[in-house]
Amino acid sequence: MDRQEHPTTTWEAMQDSTVFYRKQQVYSTPGKLPNLGDFIIAGCRYGGPLALMRDTSKLVALGSGTAAFAKAQIQVYSPAGEVLLLFSWDQGKIIRFGWTSDEKLAVLNEEGTYRLYDLQGDYQQYSLGADAAEVGIIDARIHENGLVALTGSLSLLEVKGWEGGKPLTLASPGISQPPHAWAVIPPDLTISRHVEALLSVDATVYSVDNLEATDQRLSRGPFSHLAPSPNGKSLALLTSSGSLWVVSTDFQRSLADFDTSSFTTSAGEIRQVAWCGNDAVLVTFEHMALLVGPFGDTLQYFYSGPTFAITESDGVRIVGPDTCDFLQKVPVSTVSVFRPGSTAPAAILYDAWELFSKRSPKADESIRSIRPELAAAVNGCIDAAGDEWEPYWQRRLLNAAKFGKAFLDVYDATDFVNMGQALKVLNAVRFYEIGIPITYTQYTQLSPSQLISRLTARNLHLLALRISSFLNLQPSAVLKHWACAKILRSKPTSTSKETGVDDEVVCKSIVEKFETLGSAGVSYAEIAQKAWEVGRTELATKLLDHEPKSSDQVPLLLNMKEDRLALMKAVESGDTDLVYHVLLHLHKRLPLGSFFRLIEEGGPALALASKLLQVYARAQNREMLRDFYYSDDRRVDSAVLCLNEAATMSDPVAKTNEVKAAQKFFSEDKERTFEAKMVDENVRLLTLQQQLEKEADGKISFFGLSVNETLRTCLINGMGKRADKIRSDFKVPDKRYWYLKLHALTEVHDWESLDTFARSKRSPIGYQAFVQHLVEKGHTREAISYVPRCDSNKRVDLYVLCGDWRLAGKECKDRGDKTKMEELKRTCPNSLIARELEQFAASMK
Amino acid sequence: MAAAPVASTSSTPEPSAGPRQPKEDEKPLDVSILKELARKALVDALNSVNGVKTLVLDNALAGPLGLVTEVSLLKHHGVDKMFWLEPGPLSATTTNIVYLCRPHISYVRIIADQIKRHGRESQKHNYTLFLVPRTSTLVSRILEEEGVLGDITISSYNLQFIPLADDVISLEHDTAFKEIWADGDETIIYNSMLALMKMQSLYGVFPRLVAKGDYASRLAKLLSKNLQTSALDSPNSLLRIMSEKIDSLIIIDRKVDMITPLLTQLTYEGLIDELIGLKNSHVELPMSLLNPPNAPNQPAAAAPTSNAPQGGTSLMKEKKKKHHLTTATDPLFAELRDLNFSAVGKKLNQVARRLDEDYKLRHQAKTVAQLKDFVGKLGGLQTEHQSLRLHTGLSEMLVPLTRTDVFNKSLEIQQNLLASYDVNGQISAIEELIAQGADMQIVLRLLCLASIVAGGIKTKTLENIKRELLQSYGYNYLPLLLTLASPPLAILLPNPLPASAPAAVAAGKYPYTALRRSLRLLIEDADPLEELENDVSYVYSGYAPISVRLVQCVAQKSGVLSNPAGEKDKKIAAGDSDARPRDATGAPKVQAHPIVGWKGFEDVVASIPGETADIVQGVPGQKDAPSAATLMLPKEQTTTTVVFFLGGCTYTEIAALRWVGRQTVGRRMLVATTGMVSGESVVASVADGGAAAAGPAEVGI
Repeated sequence: MDRQEHPTTTWEAMQDSTVFYRKQQVYSTPGKLPNLGDFIIAGCRYGGPLALMRDTSKLVALGSGTAAFAKAQIQVYSPAGEVLLLFSWDQGKIIRFGWTSDEKLAVLNEEGTYRLYDLQGDYQQYSLGADAAEVGIIDARIHENGLVALTGSLSLLEVKGWEGGKPLTLASPGISQPPHAWAVIPPDLTISRHVEALLSVDATVYSVDNLEATDQRLSRGPFSHLAPSPNGKSLALLTSSGSLWVVSTDFQRSLADFDTSSFTTSAGEIRQVAWCGNDAVLVTFEHMALLVGPFGDTLQYFYSGPTFAITESDGVRIVGPDTCDFLQKVPVSTVSVFRPGSTAPAAILYDAWELFSKRSPKADESIRSIRPELAAAVNGCIDAAGDEWEPYWQRRLLNAAKFGKAFLDVYDATDFVNMGQALKVLNAVRFYEIGIPITYTQYTQLSPSQLISRLTARNLHLLALRISSFLNLQPSAVLKHWACAKILRSKPTSTSKETGVDDEVVCKSIVEKFETLGSAGVSYAEIAQKAWEVGRTELATKLLDHEPKSSDQVPLLLNMKEDRLALMKAVESGDTDLVYHVLLHLHKRLPLGSFFRLIEEGGPALALASKLLQVYARAQNREMLRDFYYSDDRRVDSAVLCLNEAATMSDPVAKTNEVKAAQKFFSEDKERTFEAKMVDENVRLLTLQQQLEKEADGKISFFGLSVNETLRTCLINGMGKRADKIRSDFKVPDKRYWYLKLHALTEVHDWESLDTFARSKRSPIGYQAFVQHLVEKGHTREAISYVPRCDSNKRVDLYVLCGDWRLAGKECKDRGDKTKMEELKRTCPNSLIARELEQFAASMK
Repeated sequence: MAAAPVASTSSTPEPSAGPRQPKEDEKPLDVSILKELARKALVDALNSVNGVKTLVLDNALAGPLGLVTEVSLLKHHGVDKMFWLEPGPLSATTTNIVYLCRPHISYVRIIADQIKRHGRESQKHNYTLFLVPRTSTLVSRILEEEGVLGDITISSYNLQFIPLADDVISLEHDTAFKEIWADGDETIIYNSMLALMKMQSLYGVFPRLVAKGDYASRLAKLLSKNLQTSALDSPNSLLRIMSEKIDSLIIIDRKVDMITPLLTQLTYEGLIDELIGLKNSHVELPMSLLNPPNAPNQPAAAAPTSNAPQGGTSLMKEKKKKHHLTTATDPLFAELRDLNFSAVGKKLNQVARRLDEDYKLRHQAKTVAQLKDFVGKLGGLQTEHQSLRLHTGLSEMLVPLTRTDVFNKSLEIQQNLLASYDVNGQISAIEELIAQGADMQIVLRLLCLASIVAGGIKTKTLENIKRELLQSYGYNYLPLLLTLASPPLAILLPNPLPASAPAAVAAGKYPYTALRRSLRLLIEDADPLEELENDVSYVYSGYAPISVRLVQCVAQKSGVLSNPAGEKDKKIAAGDSDARPRDATGAPKVQAHPIVGWKGFEDVVASIPGETADIVQGVPGQKDAPSAATLMLPKEQTTTTVVFFLGGCTYTEIAALRWVGRQTVGRRMLVATTGMVSGESVVASVADGGAAAAGPAEVGI
């Protein structure tokens, strides 16, 4: 076995040897990268790629390799120095570019247009809006989940997410010239959970969020560099005089202060201030990288040329001219195993295992000495294995863990197995041809499925598929990407085009692949969409047939102008929102006539669509609804629509006209003679009411009342004659009219008229109703006079209802009803009445 | 999580939950988690807008929101002021304006209007619109048409099932019935499906879906289809596990049983709804009833402005205040809500006496320790005292309302119609009610009821009575009459049907008289009420709701054929009654049988118009669905049967289902619904389409 360098050889001590930092060379990239000093660079976290664009402010010597500089071009390199993508830019001047969390390159130009490029060079384009385009964008900061742009009018625009959302304006910082330097803290790292921008203005720093701009009242500025730490808690500031100052992001605590000016002379200009994890700051110069620890301790690393540092959550990646290095604080678990003289259980376990493999009996003794902490020691070794870059040491540490595990009675090996799997995956993706130098910590933060999607983005489908099956993950995401890529690659040849054979083959191969790999969760619709986008309609249709979710088929069908089918599928899905989506889309695109025809011809299958259209139109577009009903000869609906319209109107003429229109519609339908008659009555009533209002000199309002209310209004206003006339005109039945008149006359306390009315003829509603209503309204005295006209057997109760016990008693006596009398005596309210009743009872004999 | 009832501290001799005190092994399905979800979603939604904000709230959402949150919570999350979403200008002092509403077109236009108005006045605001329960293409389109789409951020607040009681959950979507059967807008069906999916993701997959009714079947099919597709998207969720706690989901759509909501509900809670009005479990009550010297749980929403006169003569005229009727703070309500109103007085009396005795205990307290013991109980006694006061007052309010002529006449007509006794006479009686000027909704309810049970009303008579209606209440009700007569509703029909009537109407004829026999709807023998309470029919004093009978067809088959409790006398005589577990009332309980769908009642169920569905759900991703045989094995633990009413249910139906649950060992009922309905709300909401446009919509609360 060839000797590997011991891990500690790369360690360097800080803070009195209590903390160690290590710089590991991850890849060697001699001559692969251009001179980084000439470029504007953006690096992607989690071992992601590097995007380069020529810095036009720098002079470049013309030479053989400079052809690439002729036009605006962006190059994307993997950390191992391989070119992943190269594309040229034909839009307005690029202001800024940066990486999103899903490894897309966001490129923003001065007109506020931004594109999101994936690693295959496909992009989506969005814009910050017309206002932004007008004033122009002068700078921007791009973080993983959005961007903040500085406009020409010095206001800040925020875009959340990468779905082309509407930019929000942050609070106005009120500055008159661009900040010296600025940075943003992404929303997930701030306390408010909203993005925060830090602007270096004059001697101070403004923190700006969407509510307010706060002057932090500093005096050490202006600052040339601002860099928030990966966890958003601290901020590194570099003053113009070259002192590095670290504060908490709320500017309440000063954490460190360090003067770098002495280095600038020897190492050239300061290029970058970046964080190494959350507790050390890396300042890079032309030829040197300087690591500044929390207590001002420093470590220096020298490079032959300009470098670029990418902050990771657990360290910093430094891309130099010849190497790609990873600099990090040595993790605690590794320190405890390998630190010289460490007596941590993990170290002893590792030692014991080494002794054991040398067949030394001392191994047993070591194990015994840490018996109580053995489980912790095993875990320590597993953790340390995760933090080791070299497979050699990973294996040794895992072996040590396995060795220790054997001495434990109960041990859950899940962590051990998971770590083994994870390391296998990590070693595979770190391989230089793949070029994703990701640490175990980053891997757990990024999540395996994200890692896999990063692989598919690089068209590494086979590896991605292997890894996902190795980790028991759903292969559908990988397969989907693969299918899309396959469709893009398999351009139909001219011969096969006519026969359609090619499409058949591609479709079959895709479907087969999905079925053999048992991935049912894949969305064929998305793949079909891709096929359609590249102009392969035939293939898209074929693929779409395999889509189980009708809701997913709809958008594509709409695009493919399969209108009827799209509508059908939308209705089938039961999702009314989807139906609306289709309806509104079609309404926009089709001529009204064919739009209506499409729905009408659908019959019962499209009934839901038709109903929803009506719901929408009734509220938003009545004109269209009129046309719709008219075109389908739906007279009843047309009539109802007219009536509804009439109900909203107050102008008498318009209202009457609308009701007349309804009448016409009803009369055209033989089945609706009743309705026609009713509406006709309604027209008559409306006309009559107008007349009545005229008669009353507009003092009484009649218009729009019902027949009953009209009658009532007449009666209470002393228009009894009119009421009688209306009553006969509208053939109001006796009973209803009597009740109406009773109620109306009671309301105006016109007892005389009521009496005349009651006597006018024999009441069709009886007189009990009179008594009851009058009592109900509190007119008991008037009520009593009607009791004698009621049925004799009810009179006693009615008198009681009127509260006249004496009369009730008298009635009993007259009728000789002893039982009733007893009942009265029992229920009467006081003794006075009781005595009176007693007298009646006595006189009955 | 469920808040312990306040009164559980009082150790009254009788357990406050009465005979339904759950045993250890029959813990009800915990639905409070749904409330927590709704609360959390609201907080998240509010927090996504930074800083203080003005909240503009859809009136119809205020009630449902009141059930999941308090005003203080909103304040805590930055809500500065709240406004109703109403037409007219909006003056907001904060930069952020947050709209929260259901996706109705009218609301969207109000919003667009307000934004445009601000634009004209050059006021700068950040607008956010939260749509309940999800975003809508329609809304974005209308905002686009109005030209304000660019100014507003649209998001959603996913408010789904809200627990109304520990065995009732509701979407609190009041207009569901009208939307489905009058407008043909099936949005609520899809939303119900999403809500039921959410339930499945919380409690596991419903093993079996049983449905009756066209839309119910559609919902069942949508649900099972959606399970298959969405479970694949979320591999590790509960959507891949068959529920242990739930044995089936029974979906009944309102159209299957239109009779029940048309009747006057006769339980305590039902009658409150009918006569005073219960909205989102809140009832408006006079202040004097609610303001005892030491009111323990005052809702923070309404602050009393003036003290109502104590002991006022007319409670109905006093200043009103909303009160949340819930068993969580009001133990007495749990005992009262499901009683037939005629038994409420007796119960109140009983409680009063019990309370009195409890208070008297203090006289027996001789030692300091005993006294201390008594003082400890005092708080609980006072709560109970207040509760008693409230319900006595409420009953007093109800009694005169049940004594009116119209109320009793309409009850009489209902009972006669249900017995198919002298239908023509009943129709004349309805005409009489119109003449007397009775409420429109009462008349229409009776008329529809007559049409359904008699299979239509003679054409001439019907036209006559319709004319009476229109003349009395206004011609603007003509569209309402048309809606009631046309499919899919078709509950007000002439007999014989005109030749031109759509086939669907003819096929939809309701076989009421046959059902009355086969489902044992009327309990004819005039037993005293105590006896009647042994059958679900007690909720309507002798009539069993068809919907509940249908549920029994699935979950308590023996209960359809004969009264399970009615046999107790025979059983006792036979001497084998001890073999069965009994509840506190001494009625024998029946062991729940496994769910086998409609089995045994296929013919009856098929005779009711509307599709029938019975789906045994398989766990997605697994090829083989569990065979019906495994489902039929009796389960050891108590399971819950979820009954979902599409289009709303009445309080009586809940009461009846609770009764069903009490009669069986090993099965509990969980009622889920789109909202609470009564005949009044059904008629009113359908009328809303045409007639309500006449005046401004009522703005309450």
